[in-house]
Amino acid sequence: MSESRNVTIRVPVLARVEGEGALDLAIEQGDIKELRLRIFEPPRFFEKFLEGRHYAEVPDFVARICGICPVAYQVTAAQALEALFDLDIGPWARAMRRVFYCGEWIQSHSLHIHLLAAPDFFGCGNAIELARIAPEEVRRGLRLQALGNELMELFGARSVHPVGVRVGGFHAAPSPERIHAMRERLAAALPEAEALVRWTAGIALPPDAQDFVSVAMRDPVDYAIEHGGIAASDGLLIDAAAYPEHFVERHEPHSTALFSSYRGAPYLVGPLARLNLNRDRLPDDVQALLAEVGFALPSGNVFHSMLARAVEILLALREALRLFADYRVPAAPWVAAKPRAGVAVGCTEAPRGLLWHRYEIDADGLVRSARIVPPTAQNQARIEEDLRLSLLNFGLDHADDALRLHCEKVIRNYDPCISCATHFLRLNVSR
Amino acid sequence: MRVRVIGIGSPSGDDQAGWRVVDALTARGLGGPHEILLEKLDRPGAALIERFADADCVILVDAVCSGDAPGHIHHLRESEWAHGRGSLSSHGFGVFDALALARALQALPPRLEVYGIEIASLEPGALPDAAVCAAVEQLADQLAGLLQRGLRDRQAWAQSGNSSRRSRKTN
Repeated sequence: MSESRNVTIRVPVLARVEGEGALDLAIEQGDIKELRLRIFEPPRFFEKFLEGRHYAEVPDFVARICGICPVAYQVTAAQALEALFDLDIGPWARAMRRVFYCGEWIQSHSLHIHLLAAPDFFGCGNAIELARIAPEEVRRGLRLQALGNELMELFGARSVHPVGVRVGGFHAAPSPERIHAMRERLAAALPEAEALVRWTAGIALPPDAQDFVSVAMRDPVDYAIEHGGIAASDGLLIDAAAYPEHFVERHEPHSTALFSSYRGAPYLVGPLARLNLNRDRLPDDVQALLAEVGFALPSGNVFHSMLARAVEILLALREALRLFADYRVPAAPWVAAKPRAGVAVGCTEAPRGLLWHRYEIDADGLVRSARIVPPTAQNQARIEEDLRLSLLNFGLDHADDALRLHCEKVIRNYDPCISCATHFLRLNVSR
Repeated sequence: MRVRVIGIGSPSGDDQAGWRVVDALTARGLGGPHEILLEKLDRPGAALIERFADADCVILVDAVCSGDAPGHIHHLRESEWAHGRGSLSSHGFGVFDALALARALQALPPRLEVYGIEIASLEPGALPDAAVCAAVEQLADQLAGLLQRGLRDRQAWAQSGNSSRRSRKTN
């Protein structure tokens, strides 16, 4: 045993995530003395760039924040502004926004499961190694990812930084022929998504039950994606406008991303938090499938996030199919907006969790100030807390490489936009 | 027989090389809905692989930085596919990562030609360097000849050459 073993693990580049980060871990006398997820990416200043911009520019502008989840940013911004302008975009645009968003969930979740997270659980260094031992599963994952991309392209013209959304609806409506073709593909993918749920449920995970608060949107009827209030597993249920009264952002010296807390403590956002709070909003047969595969909710094991993503892929396929059922091209895909001064607030569930926007708009429709709280910033404190608890559960007497791999697994599990650079960790160990 | 010519690039300076080769082939009257598909992509990531499924031959053209003089045309063999940075992050999933993944999945097309044009500058909004523009035209001429010969003798062409792949996977 190594009660007195001192270990310093420095992962200097957590790499090309939506932000550059590193991990510092110091173990002294068998105890964790230092554990910091350092985000050192320079600030991107998007909120400042938005100041003085016309409201109509906002959806295309914020889409540039993320190449993986641009729909989340676009839809959140558009909906916040529509609420301020008291604009009813109508049932067609509301439904198609949700479908558009489903496409993003499908592609982002498929990408994370197959290219980033799953290799960890098969002893593989990357997706190429995984493809050699599980080629059918990786092919299936790529097919699902491609389908998600195509669903985004249907409404956004392209899947990376799409341009379809505008305040008031969409710039254009796809033809019924294109929707019909997409419906057939979505229906054909349902068995694949079910198989994906079974496959991910069968992957052995580290037992790692932890106690934390889950925060996610919740809707009276639907599984919350693009509409609903904000809920927490301790019973909180608030409107988007009340978010700043309950959730606090703070600077930490080691990070250029803000840390968030709720009642003074870290909290979890993302697919597992959503399922923890919204299991009863899943269709009955999806709930039955979860029972069949033994996925008990709520779960305190954040390693269940990969399975949660698979479940949400299945849900998103079903939602898209449901909303396409009576598809008709509307008389107009958007309604005209009349700007007015005030504060626009909105939130949606980005693939990685709750995304909250606030815009102060003047009488000319120009942005006076903007505030954007992305999911990864909200998860940052929780990742550090999880690393600490998970390492203690794992055991600090493991070899350095095993400790580092476990840390990477924990971080990747959150699919952080700060850690998309998963599998690119360099390690310096000094004793 | 279906051939896909895919130019990969961006609007930034010399990085337009791949796109401009596609434009140059279009200007030479090549490309259509059936046999020769010309396509310009921007960071396709793993989505590159799905484009191999219906193609008998894929020609990839991308900008490269190897230290050679700008405008140098590389014809890359499979053994020369550098494996990206080994990172395979969603943000850094490059062409060679996609090719390596396709190879592991036995999803490479029967014939694959990978070309790179050496570049120097990535200035947003700038025009490519003259040497890069010359290389674009030179490679377009070369590819146009290749494609026209292919159209004349489809079977022989599909089974020959194959410079970027050692052999066709049959399973």
